[in-house]
Amino acid sequence: MMHAVAQALCLIGFAALALATRRPQHEIIGRSLPRGPVSTLRLAGAAALLIALAVLVEGKDWGLGLVAFSGHTTLAAAIVYGALIGYVQAVARRARS
Amino acid sequence: MKTDNDQRVAGRGLRQSMSGLHTWAGLLLGWLLYAMFLTGTVSYFKEELSQWMRPELPRLAQLPDPAVVAQRVADEIGMLAPGTAQWSLRLPDTRNNAVNAFWRTSARGPGQRGFEEARFDPVTGHKVVSRDTLGGEVFYRFHFQFYYMPVVWGRWLAGIAAMFMLVAIVAGVITHKKIFTDFFTFRWGRGQRSWLDAHNALSVFGLPFHIMITYTGLVTLMALYMPWGERAAFKTPAERQQLAAELSAFSQPGKPSGDKLPLASVEEMVRQAQARWGRDNVGRVNANNPGDATARIAVTRGDDARVSMSPQYMEFDGATGKLLAVHDGVGAAAETRGVLYALHLGRFSDVTTRWLYFLVSLMGTAMVGTGLVMWTVKRRAKLADPARPHLGFRLVERLNIASIAGLSIAMTAFLWGNRLLPLTLENRAYAEIDLFFTVWALTLLHALLRPAKAAWVEQLWAAAALLALLPVLNALTTQRPLWHSLATGDWVFAGVDLMCWALAALHGVLALRTARHGVGFGRTTRPRNAEPRSDDRGAAAAAATGEAAR
Amino acid sequence: MIALTHRARSTGALLARIVAALLGGYALAALVSVAALALPISKPQAVLTGQLASFAVYTAAVIWVFAVRSAWKAWAGLLIVAAALAPLAWSVS
Repeated sequence: MMHAVAQALCLIGFAALALATRRPQHEIIGRSLPRGPVSTLRLAGAAALLIALAVLVEGKDWGLGLVAFSGHTTLAAAIVYGALIGYVQAVARRARS
Repeated sequence: MKTDNDQRVAGRGLRQSMSGLHTWAGLLLGWLLYAMFLTGTVSYFKEELSQWMRPELPRLAQLPDPAVVAQRVADEIGMLAPGTAQWSLRLPDTRNNAVNAFWRTSARGPGQRGFEEARFDPVTGHKVVSRDTLGGEVFYRFHFQFYYMPVVWGRWLAGIAAMFMLVAIVAGVITHKKIFTDFFTFRWGRGQRSWLDAHNALSVFGLPFHIMITYTGLVTLMALYMPWGERAAFKTPAERQQLAAELSAFSQPGKPSGDKLPLASVEEMVRQAQARWGRDNVGRVNANNPGDATARIAVTRGDDARVSMSPQYMEFDGATGKLLAVHDGVGAAAETRGVLYALHLGRFSDVTTRWLYFLVSLMGTAMVGTGLVMWTVKRRAKLADPARPHLGFRLVERLNIASIAGLSIAMTAFLWGNRLLPLTLENRAYAEIDLFFTVWALTLLHALLRPAKAAWVEQLWAAAALLALLPVLNALTTQRPLWHSLATGDWVFAGVDLMCWALAALHGVLALRTARHGVGFGRTTRPRNAEPRSDDRGAAAAAATGEAAR
Repeated sequence: MIALTHRARSTGALLARIVAALLGGYALAALVSVAALALPISKPQAVLTGQLASFAVYTAAVIWVFAVRSAWKAWAGLLIVAAALAPLAWSVS
């Protein structure tokens, strides 16, 4: 359960951080976001990751919590990354057909 | 390549020289690093793999009380090896269905120490009989000492590879300036650029893990690699003993008195340890001079709920059963080492964390693999005559095939060997290992003889087929087919079978993609000028990594 | 002829760097691990501290060797640090 919550928070966090960078913005909404929303996204992303860390440390203490956190963040980043690739591919396919 | 390297160092700034360092440090031992990474990754499930490779040993649905088990096995060892100077047993846990134990035998020659090992059934206490195999130990030992060479050489080789890895990681981070802003960039179907993006992503996502695993890998064998401080500081064995006590719960047995006294209740000692650390969190029971008046028993803490391998144990007088001391702390540096050691092995992890370890470590393997492939992808576009590449290029290309696709085949073939080699075979455990290396050598031969693209595709399909059929073979050769393991909740067997299919699918996808696009065969010739200039990163990345290709 | 000497010189410089990185870096790391014995902590802890830190020193040395402008500078840097550490290492061994 704790692992599921942490993973979900990490996914949200990285999705927000991804949307705060230029390239995914162009690929998804076709333009750059203004500075305001970008900082909000960054803040929200960082906050979600921090809460995930808090959840894991609360549940497993610092040593194990940090290890699990590092694993969850890596996995979540990879999933968000893969999802972005899949999204862009799907859009490209639709545009072709 | 070499001659203009120095000009580059002199002329073009830090990132370029770091890029060169990254490329060559990564390539030189890259094949070895890939194999170390993959076998290390698999070793996170070493115990499970060992269980799968000994299908005769029944699953332990319920863990018997470790205290009772300890007494049973201690009695059994007492009968098997009366008068041994030392024995040690590891209690079963959720990942182990047998008690692993070893004991000293009398020396076979001057200066030699003999050990014998065996597995015991925790329920009956008797030695269990299973096929002769080293199980998951094989990949584990390969991971840091290899085979067919003296153990110390192998460990040095692994250490050198790890140092190259560490240098390659640091140089790679310096090279890749915009490491975080580019975090989520992937440019699909752009040949070299896509490989670069994939390599970057795999490296950056797992960066904390990659640095941690490489550094801690060096720490596990640091006494071998850096013995100089120890040699300067300690002149006598007694002083060295002081250091050893900071590192391990094992100690050398002292001289026995010669007065025979039977061992007090081991069960009672383990009970005291259980009261301290929890019922199922007792690791080992070590006995020095059992049966003598000077007998000492150490009961160590298990791996659960503690990220450290530093020794924590209770020491008992073996003859009276009296608690002599509780060792529950070491010095700060020793504790740091214990934590780093534990981080590398990951034995403390629960099932979820273990899977995270496995996945991130697999990403590390892919990082090394994509790095190796990138070396050829970058250079293919610049070949004078792509139909007849120069020797160095051909060599790297073929070694890549055998060390990436070929290793998958060899590792799976090893598991096939475990099921198919006759049980009566002499030295069967080593025949399995020989099979592993023979198949691996054959994949290299195949890679050398076939055109590169065909070799990639054929080997990836071969790996996919071997992996996909392994659960079938398991169903045919053991009493524990997949449907049976799923029905009885035997997750060790079901897990290996399902993982085989997942990996078979992965190899199949890679084979299909390679057949369609090649490993950077098709689109890499796109001239760099054709990159859209608005893509500011393209220019930076090309400047940083493209240079190394020259 | 000029091209040849140039080629020989730059190959030599690269070799000098590789040797500095592989052997010089190790020697420096080993020296640090011995010098750590001068730390005001117990001997076993000092030995372990030196061992733990040595690989970071080794890595830093290799990066230094390839980061600076010339092979001379690379060697000079290693030697200066070694000279600073040598008295410490000497005093404890």
